[in-house]
Amino acid sequence: MDTSAPETGQGRTTLIAVGGLLIAWEIVGRLGVSLFVPPVSQIAVVWWTLVRDATIPRAAAGSLLSLVKGFVPAVVLGVSIGLAMGRFASVRYVLAGPINTLMSAPLSALVPVLIALFGLRDTVVAATVFMFSFFVIVVNTETGVRGTDRSLIEMARMFGASEAGLFWRIYLPAALPALMLGVRLGVIQAVKGMVVGEMLISLVGLGERLVYYGNTFLITHLYAVIGSVLIIALAAAQLTQALDRALVRWK
Amino acid sequence: MAAMSQQPASGAGAPVPVEIVVDGVSKRYGPVQALVDIKLRIAAGEFVTLIGPSGCGKTTLLKTIGGLVAADAGRVQIGDRVVSRPTRQCAMVFQDFALLPWATVQRNVEFGLLLQGAPPADRAQRARRYIKRVGLGGFEDAYPSQLSGGMQQRVGLARALAVNPQVLLMDEPFASIDEQTRRLFQDDLLALWSEERKTVVLVTHSMEEAIYLSDRVVVLSPRPGRVHTTLDVPLPRPRELSEVRGSGDFARLVDDLWKILRKLQ
Repeated sequence: MDTSAPETGQGRTTLIAVGGLLIAWEIVGRLGVSLFVPPVSQIAVVWWTLVRDATIPRAAAGSLLSLVKGFVPAVVLGVSIGLAMGRFASVRYVLAGPINTLMSAPLSALVPVLIALFGLRDTVVAATVFMFSFFVIVVNTETGVRGTDRSLIEMARMFGASEAGLFWRIYLPAALPALMLGVRLGVIQAVKGMVVGEMLISLVGLGERLVYYGNTFLITHLYAVIGSVLIIALAAAQLTQALDRALVRWK
Repeated sequence: MAAMSQQPASGAGAPVPVEIVVDGVSKRYGPVQALVDIKLRIAAGEFVTLIGPSGCGKTTLLKTIGGLVAADAGRVQIGDRVVSRPTRQCAMVFQDFALLPWATVQRNVEFGLLLQGAPPADRAQRARRYIKRVGLGGFEDAYPSQLSGGMQQRVGLARALAVNPQVLLMDEPFASIDEQTRRLFQDDLLALWSEERKTVVLVTHSMEEAIYLSDRVVVLSPRPGRVHTTLDVPLPRPRELSEVRGSGDFARLVDDLWKILRKLQ
């Protein structure tokens, strides 16, 4: 109860801020300051046209499919490897080096490797999504497991917990908040990976539309697609946040 | 006639209290000799307190009795069984409560029973019963973070009692609880103990607590940890219903204990 009040207040503030920004944009757009700042109303009209002639839905469907195909394996594998690294020092010693290196590497540098591995098909976008989101999930899950309260482990052992019992009943729930933080950060990375993959490598989906409208100076169309990408990013973030709230109710 | 079993059933029925024999236990942590040749006999149903300056190894000794820490030499025997790992004979109450923050009071109290494989219905019913017995009826669905320290430790005690152990091990259970709550809690502990006679080993820093609760106080000396003295506490029971704390005998015993401990500091 007491947490909902400031949250709605915060929501209202955000709404006012975004609304104010849009109004300011509209005014600047109508003043005709720059070709690159079309009025928001005009962008909305173009967006609706692109939705009705199926341009955006078709592109978005392809993008979303790649997002799911890359992000779901990233979560499954990232969580599994993170749990193993957190629980077993030997796994950590083997994997910490490669994972930390790859995580800090500029991922765009790996684009040629990905092309060599997956060709220029849709799969390469899923692979980019995976590369962008995987590491942050691994690292957060590992941190969560390693932060498990020692006394809880001792308590469970005192009641005769087996290795498996310790894992399922102590380590996993203890790691869940950090794990879910990794998933929430990961999904944002995944959307970035999706756009990068589609723009720089494969030229499919929404990324392809961004490149096309950019090259042909259809600025209003470009903003309409950027808006669609933002909607996807926001929706993905909201979805994972809802999942987080449902799983980590006790916090 | 069925032979008397020393196995505590996870169902109903009070288990028979058992004797604890600590026979020449030594434990070293790297360069630190935590315990040297500890010899101790704790009678079935006796309430014994381990006290001593920091670093005397009292918590290590408690964990060795519980099977959480393996002795380098010597052995611990509970009843007719030599301790090599944690078993159902013992349950422990922890200084920092060790409650699952993601689980309700009910789930926390069920946790020991769950790990020991008790059936769900039995688990829920036993947990509810012990939640009431420690005075937390109505708080079944609360989370630990919503409870005061004293209430959290009551959850810890209910969880330990719910598995119906023969031995209750308590590691400074009242250390992080405020004075008034602590006194009430100590009285409740004594009342519970008089109903379910278990062998209790308690670790504490508080001399008053040691004298008030125990039949016998074992003083350990530090570096290396050895049994220094054993002090009998011949105060009448039930103490929780009388004015023992205000009596001259109580004050004298606390003073005796202080004279011993002062030399060890």
